[in-house]
Amino acid sequence: MIEGRLHHVSIIVPDDERVHELAGLLGLTLGRRQYVAQYEADCIFTTGNGGVIEFIIAKSGKLSKFNKGMGGLHHIAIAVPDLEATKQQLAEQGIPLLETKPVDAGPIYINFLAPAYTRGVIVEYVQEVEPAAASQELPKVTQAAAETARAVQSSDTLATAPDGGRLDERDIFKSARSLRAEGRAEEAALRLREALRRNWLSPEGIEKAGRHIAGFLGESSAKPLDVLVLGQCTTHWVSNCLTAVAWGCGAAVRTVDGQYDNVIQELMTAAASGRRYDAVVLVPWSERLLGGEPGEGPARAAEELAFWQRAWQIVATQMSSRLIQVGYDWVSPGAVGHHLSGRRQGPVQLVRQMNESLQAALPPSAFFVDLDQASGTMGRDRFYDPRRYAWTKQPFSEAGAARVAQHLWSGIRAMVNGPKKVLVLDLDNTLWGGVVGETGPLGIEIGDGAAGESFKAFQQYAKALSQRGVLLAVSSKNNPADAREPFEKNPALPLKLSDFAAFEASWEPKSVAIARMAKTLQLGLDSFVFFDDNPAEREHVRQMLPDVEVVDVPEEAAQYIRALEAGQWFEALDLTAEDAERTAQYRAEAERRGLQESFASMDDYLRSLDMRGDVRDIDETDLPRVVQLLGKTNQFNLTTRRHSVEDVRALLARPRSVGLTVRIADRFADYGLVAVILGTEQSGETVPTLRVDTWLMSCRVIARTVEEFCLDALVRAARERGFERIVGEYLPTKKNQLVADLYDRLGFSRTGAVADNGMGYALDDITQVSATTFVARPA
Amino acid sequence: MMTKDEILQKLQDVFRDVFEDDELTIHRESSAEDVEGWDSLMHVSLMINVERAFGSKFSTTQVASLKNVGELVDLLESRLAGAPGGRV
Repeated sequence: MIEGRLHHVSIIVPDDERVHELAGLLGLTLGRRQYVAQYEADCIFTTGNGGVIEFIIAKSGKLSKFNKGMGGLHHIAIAVPDLEATKQQLAEQGIPLLETKPVDAGPIYINFLAPAYTRGVIVEYVQEVEPAAASQELPKVTQAAAETARAVQSSDTLATAPDGGRLDERDIFKSARSLRAEGRAEEAALRLREALRRNWLSPEGIEKAGRHIAGFLGESSAKPLDVLVLGQCTTHWVSNCLTAVAWGCGAAVRTVDGQYDNVIQELMTAAASGRRYDAVVLVPWSERLLGGEPGEGPARAAEELAFWQRAWQIVATQMSSRLIQVGYDWVSPGAVGHHLSGRRQGPVQLVRQMNESLQAALPPSAFFVDLDQASGTMGRDRFYDPRRYAWTKQPFSEAGAARVAQHLWSGIRAMVNGPKKVLVLDLDNTLWGGVVGETGPLGIEIGDGAAGESFKAFQQYAKALSQRGVLLAVSSKNNPADAREPFEKNPALPLKLSDFAAFEASWEPKSVAIARMAKTLQLGLDSFVFFDDNPAEREHVRQMLPDVEVVDVPEEAAQYIRALEAGQWFEALDLTAEDAERTAQYRAEAERRGLQESFASMDDYLRSLDMRGDVRDIDETDLPRVVQLLGKTNQFNLTTRRHSVEDVRALLARPRSVGLTVRIADRFADYGLVAVILGTEQSGETVPTLRVDTWLMSCRVIARTVEEFCLDALVRAARERGFERIVGEYLPTKKNQLVADLYDRLGFSRTGAVADNGMGYALDDITQVSATTFVARPA
Repeated sequence: MMTKDEILQKLQDVFRDVFEDDELTIHRESSAEDVEGWDSLMHVSLMINVERAFGSKFSTTQVASLKNVGELVDLLESRLAGAPGGRV
């Protein structure tokens, strides 16, 4: 029997709305929210007295299919003091856990019991990480397990944003409200901007954020874009959403709504008032077009067209504002049914003809929002809400209103700023499946198979973007040669190197690479859109380069195209022949100018990272991770010696041997154990000499002066043990050119060739080491 | 079952959230005249937030007939009890 108490009961629900519905019905208060990557699920825990309920929202993965996708009661969780001990107790009874390692779920570690042993009841074991220990050091018993869990989490599938993950909508508004009450209105508005940028708000929250921001813009002195919104229906919610959507993209839009269905009079009043509007948005509603007697359709369509032409004339001659005309749409096919509605003046046919004549007559400088496309993409059943129309003559659902606002903003942006110009793409698991550095140019997933076809379709889409004038660029953490090889050698790739205006493959932070591209291409960072499958990279770019738009990339490659399209970044008023030539022009320009790094700004960047390093002697709990790194590290590995656990133990047992681990953290993330150094005494030397057997490092912290920090740690360890000199060697492999000159850079001198085409090195006076590092040691 | 007091308490949270005012206090007698910003458009936003918080939907007739917060509390109570007139 295992000692434990009930920790919580879990319910799987399809979406946030259902969570709020159930919590409302049951009188529960929602608290902490956490995304758990391994289960592809958001977990929301209730707070307050009594038992805790966990709501799970899984958009993909196994849990999303629970009870045929309908969800329901899922599992009970038992709290235990020590997961490892529980696992062993169960193992003694022959009962396995579903996972081999504890799963990191924020402040708790969890494991599931195999349901075959519990008559189908799903049981989870939970070990709470003590609050004090969570930020410092993990409980001793499970440190190795925690290390493994952290290693899993900090790989490419990082679970949450490094700053702690998604915030609950209510908390976001609460904090914005209290900041505002304290007179910190700008901070409140910026907090809402961050929530909007990260798509954390529901459609309802977007509208509410719009109201809040409208209030802020009313008090602020900065000059916003003034937009007049006039409709044949109520436009109030759409206008608020427009303010919010634009704010999320870094723009201030102040809206003025007219009286419902009073378009011409409102326009004349606005024109007479002398107030200048940057844009006028005109929103028709189909009731006037479709509300007539049978046979009246064509006459009504002609009237409507004349009506809008009159409105356009006022805008053009008296207001000199930019014009955004929304199209007509149908909500129901009408009594004639779907089959007949599309012909013989059925409602659908009338709407389509109306939209065609509107577009044909529209001034060429105006932007047309095709409402039929917008509602079709979302689905009319979701886009419209008949009850809202009955209540306030506002036909759109909350989600629909937010979507209309998105289209309006893409039009305003296209006219005021022009479309975004550059799409920055990652390579591994973005343009193809897998990691090219591991599988080689022909081993990546592209072309064949379900995943391969999705990546190929995404590349074709990107290529089509480039053909219409969007510049493509690559920012990848890879060896430059590895990164280029697939484009040169794998015929399945639709994209070729010549399709890219800039190609940055290095181990530098992506913010540095993108900033350099902006300089080389002579474009502002606000014309860049960044697309990367790795959430940590996205968060990094969001924080470091707030002007760059970062796409919320789903885990499923088949959804990449839609995710990229959803932001409508590249909406343009018109395309010209010049657009198609753009990539070639920029490439030539970039090559001419050459790439120049600014070292001063690089130092500033590294300093801003606030890196901290922790050096420890290898102990038993570190061994599994150390051996794992020895086995899999290819690139930053001077000697590529694949030692076993026994080898490492034997090495450490030798007198005066050195075995160090280095852990690194910065303001974005805790990278955990990232470097290993092994060394032993070199016999037969005149002065006491330490020979470096192994020096490896995870590529995630390369080019951040962690190398220099490691050298400093090595020198300190050597001096502590009475050594006066350090020797080592570089043994080349296909993968480790990255460190071919590491020892040279760190001030070692070459002592001549060694076996395996290697090069020997020595640091003769270890008291004279000056390596600049931006990694701080804990005090 | 929630009591009328509990419903009122929870409604107050919703009001504070919708009207962005953490000091806002409501009573059974509170009506649109007493709360700043409670116009016909905000009324719709408010009703939708109340529906979501209580997991219940109102009909157009019910929404139109409400005179004050007290009537909203009564309506919610009958809804939550599954009484007739409550299309949930």
